[in-house]
Amino acid sequence: MRVKSVFCAALFLAFGSSVALGAGPMTGKTVKVGVIADVTGSAGAYGNSQKNAYELAGDDLKAGLIDAAGASLTFDVQDAASDPNQVVNLVQKFTTDGSALMIGPTLSSEAKKADPIAVAKNLTILATSNTAQGITTMGSCVFRDSLSEEQVVPQMLVKMEKAWKVKTAAIIYGDDDQFTKTDFDIFSASLKADNIDVVDIKTFHKGDVDFKAQLTAIGEKKPDLLVIGALIEEGVKIATQAKQLGFKGHFAGGNGLNSPKFIDLAGPAGDGVIVGAAYYLGDTRGGNKAFVERYSKKFGKAPDQFAAQAYAAAQVVAAAIKGGATNSGQFCSFFGNMKPLMTVLGPVSFMSSRDVRADSAILEVSKGAFVPFK
Amino acid sequence: MLVQQLANGVFLGAVYALFAIGYTLIFGVLDILNLAHAAIFMLAAFVALSLAGLGVPLVLAFALALVVAGFLGVLLDRVAFAPLRRRNAGTLVPLISSIGAAIIMQGVARGIWGPDEQRFPANALSTAEIHIGSLTVGALDVVILAIALVLMGVLSYVLRSTALGRSIRAVAADRVAAALLGVDIERTIALTFFIASALGGAAGILIGLQYNSVSLDMGARIELKGLAIIILGGMGSVTGAVIGAFLLGAVETLSVAYISSSYRDAIAFGVMFLILVLRPTGLFGKRALRAA
Repeated sequence: MRVKSVFCAALFLAFGSSVALGAGPMTGKTVKVGVIADVTGSAGAYGNSQKNAYELAGDDLKAGLIDAAGASLTFDVQDAASDPNQVVNLVQKFTTDGSALMIGPTLSSEAKKADPIAVAKNLTILATSNTAQGITTMGSCVFRDSLSEEQVVPQMLVKMEKAWKVKTAAIIYGDDDQFTKTDFDIFSASLKADNIDVVDIKTFHKGDVDFKAQLTAIGEKKPDLLVIGALIEEGVKIATQAKQLGFKGHFAGGNGLNSPKFIDLAGPAGDGVIVGAAYYLGDTRGGNKAFVERYSKKFGKAPDQFAAQAYAAAQVVAAAIKGGATNSGQFCSFFGNMKPLMTVLGPVSFMSSRDVRADSAILEVSKGAFVPFK
Repeated sequence: MLVQQLANGVFLGAVYALFAIGYTLIFGVLDILNLAHAAIFMLAAFVALSLAGLGVPLVLAFALALVVAGFLGVLLDRVAFAPLRRRNAGTLVPLISSIGAAIIMQGVARGIWGPDEQRFPANALSTAEIHIGSLTVGALDVVILAIALVLMGVLSYVLRSTALGRSIRAVAADRVAAALLGVDIERTIALTFFIASALGGAAGILIGLQYNSVSLDMGARIELKGLAIIILGGMGSVTGAVIGAFLLGAVETLSVAYISSSYRDAIAFGVMFLILVLRPTGLFGKRALRAA
């Protein structure tokens, strides 16, 4: 128990950056934000990025790069260790320790357990990485700044349609994985909404390595666009084999392909694949350039989407304090009426559904890198 | 499109065949199902990948990995099967023993190469394509098919026309009678393991090259198919395994193309089930158990 409390204190010192900056209308006010992140455990890669972002946000508040109008703003980052029980314990802590807002948890499945507890205690929630359906509907003060795939895909198709006059499409997806199945559902609904004719739908199973039969059948129908609903390993082979079989159309990838690892593995075969994302590293708006530089310097690697969404949450919280919010109710009403705020994700505001209104980054793999698709 | 799909099926079937003949050879000679065959298949692919990564030319890496796979097979026999054979342990105990050996080999591979899928070095593989009318095939696929056919031809020649082949067939037919006739049983079994495992290893390397993907679970993916093929072909029949493999490749490909990709495996195994109902000994099996 003692070890645990020492650990908690150390964690607080390390990540809970308490900041009181010079003069400002909110000078003397204290706001504590409880953050639940999976810093360790199976979702550690995501939670670690989030923890880093709040640590940097603490530094940037001190340096005046984020303006909280002189208030003392603390991000109390607690590690849920990818353990749903730990998540529940932490929510209970934040509902009783004077936190004005809860950010997190990292995973949608955790949010489904945690959010109802916070909602029952009227604690406002800002989710930064929960992209599943049914998150913001859990309470009238549950917001999220992460774009869901349902929001990204339609924007992506509009851009592709404009650039290439796409009339027909085929979809290949893994039918034994919830993630890739969701890709299929979202893409087929969006293609239908855009009046793009889906000429063929083929499936595969996890671990398959040979997709030539499916791709030959698809190639025969000559679709303008091939949608790949796959995780990285299969996605790489699909793109490679399609090109080998002489497929001449364009490629669109689901969320699963939105990773630098896809480019590493696919090599030249990845060129021309379009993916939709919530964040683009090369964006210069909302202080993103400084964010990328400072983050890279501090942590030795560039920020990913999870870090950017967490940092944007810090920017949104600071703006809310500047707008006079210091308690849960005030945060809720500020978010609900927030004018588009420039963040590292671009301009961010919340819709009446409390989902984020933000630009998606439509990216194209070109010569071994993601570049904006024009 | 039918021609292209049939070509896809042939390339798929060739690697299935290489895997399955090693599998069926050991069954034919020893009456045991060697479930560690898939682990050697995977290990050989990793060995070839590592050698290629060290700059060894691909052809040499392939040859060296075959030898490593062959010796792994001999070692497998010495450790997992020979002690049981001496005690007349029947057929079920060696089956379990081979599962244990497979798990150990998986663990060793995970320790050495890690859990992630790996790829051959960039530029190590040809990406050239050959166009014949509307047919597009990768030059690499053609080379792989040729290697598979040559290896199957060599095996067929060895079994039919050499002293070793005669010994293998004699041991398969009746171990006691073969011993009485002066055949060195243990040596023949060791050589059978060497040949079968080298062929399994070759299949692993070729499938790794064909899809540029080497992973710990690559053996598990093909194992069940290999088992189905040797039962379909007739347990212990090398010819049956080859034909069964090409049949499976064709059925899988055509079911994806013309019926439904979601039901590919269900259709492939359904066809096998039908054939076995009509011919319980498999296509080339002379009896329910073994025939070499």
